[in-house]
Amino acid sequence: MAAKVNKKRRSAVQSVVCPLIFGITLIAAWQTGLLHIVLNTDEYVLPYPTRILTIMGENSDKIMMNVWASVQVAVLGLLFGSLLGYLIAIFAATFPKFGSGGLTIVSAFNAIPIVALAPVIINWTKDVSSEAEIRSTFAKIIVVTVVSMASMSVNAYRGLTELPVFSDDLMKTYAAGKLTEFTKLRLPNSVPYIFTALRVSVPGSVISALVSEYFAEYIIGVGRQIRENILIAQYSTAWAYIVTACIVGIVMYAILMVIEALVMKKRR
Amino acid sequence: MNVERIKNAEIMLDNVGMTYDATDGKKVQALTSVTMDIQKGEFISLLGPSGCGKTTLLRIIADLLQPTSGKVLIGGESPKEARLKRKYGMVFQSAVLYDWRTVIKNIELPLEIIHEGKAERRERAVKMLDLVGLSEFANHYPRQLSGGMQQRVGIARALALQPEILLMDEPFSALDEFTREKLHIDLLKIWRKTNKTIIFVTHNISESVFLSDRVCVLSPHPGRLSAVIDIDLPRPRTMEIRDTPEFTALVAKVRNSFEGV
Repeated sequence: MAAKVNKKRRSAVQSVVCPLIFGITLIAAWQTGLLHIVLNTDEYVLPYPTRILTIMGENSDKIMMNVWASVQVAVLGLLFGSLLGYLIAIFAATFPKFGSGGLTIVSAFNAIPIVALAPVIINWTKDVSSEAEIRSTFAKIIVVTVVSMASMSVNAYRGLTELPVFSDDLMKTYAAGKLTEFTKLRLPNSVPYIFTALRVSVPGSVISALVSEYFAEYIIGVGRQIRENILIAQYSTAWAYIVTACIVGIVMYAILMVIEALVMKKRR
Repeated sequence: MNVERIKNAEIMLDNVGMTYDATDGKKVQALTSVTMDIQKGEFISLLGPSGCGKTTLLRIIADLLQPTSGKVLIGGESPKEARLKRKYGMVFQSAVLYDWRTVIKNIELPLEIIHEGKAERRERAVKMLDLVGLSEFANHYPRQLSGGMQQRVGIARALALQPEILLMDEPFSALDEFTREKLHIDLLKIWRKTNKTIIFVTHNISESVFLSDRVCVLSPHPGRLSAVIDIDLPRPRTMEIRDTPEFTALVAKVRNSFEGV
């Protein structure tokens, strides 16, 4: 028992304290200019943390508006993609003949870089609406959907098909139908796999939302602001958006971790 | 087929055989012409080394496998009909508890499947849990239980639908000797209370002698029924019976009946 507690404490140290020390050291080196010497750059291209924070404070309204635009795209895309991915997994698990082939195609989608995918999809969706904002949002959501779909379908398929030994025999001895077997066994069995997929696709959805903004017609979003400000050499503002992007990613991942901890609490 | 046999036997096996297609295109005989009758309320062991087809035979009776030859009748019906009427309760090598359900919810699972009402479900599950002596663990999760306790929950779940036949596939093989001996006593008590027909697969000779009315000895290559030995030890059986010369003699008799091992 004591060893167990000890182990838990050690893992807490490893997962919280160590990264924290690393982060603080890095920021300290950055603020004192040490980092600039190491990276052979100046404070114009890489502004001091305090300068970045000041800009973030001054532009908070504009930043929040862009955060909202990006988060909307990331979350909706994640939602649609995960749902679609799960449906594909159900289809593949129900019809194994098409299933494995279909999943291979979906996985192949995952290998296409977002930078290649985004312009194509934006081109497809140019007739969706007469308003640039709406058709851009639509296109960006589709990019995130495609990216999120792949990891969910592959993982959920495993969750629906890799059952504990004899658990399907057990269902047979109860003369359970396919639907009962699905709701009582396969679906609950797939829950941990859903979280495995989301651990990949939540950060993925933020990244693909930001990258898809680069190619969108309508200029909005944290990712787009990074690009626009770099183009006009406003590095401090660009960095303010880079830091914002990091925070968005971390917060979304933290929310996922909390949900996972709540749902999985009783299973571990 | 003899009409008299069909009428009397709870489970009737007639020339049951099973041939697998091996990967290299050859045919593998897992089981050849097994013929036997099992009476209602009997405790039968299928005993043999690995590869003798004992689990295959159990799975054929359970309708989890289809025999390639011969016929199986369960109370005059096919195994499939019996399965669809939920006449079987099955206990596997591992407890197969669903780790997202509490102990009581695991026992309620089969009752949920037959759409039993919530109150009846709970009542029956509580009764079953009491039968296996785990009432205080109702709201625990499976991972919080020892292997022996998990297997007892598995037995309670198998009994929840009040099946006529309990099929047990090496249920105690993963447990330590002490736990196993305790579960032997518990299982015999449950058997006496519920009056089920039990078919118990094992590779442990003394386990089969201790528990059974009859031990069916299966020999491998090809899997076949090489002897059926009556165990006429008095019941109820206690731990001490293992130390009697009668017990030792029966164990020796069973051991000597194996062919080609």
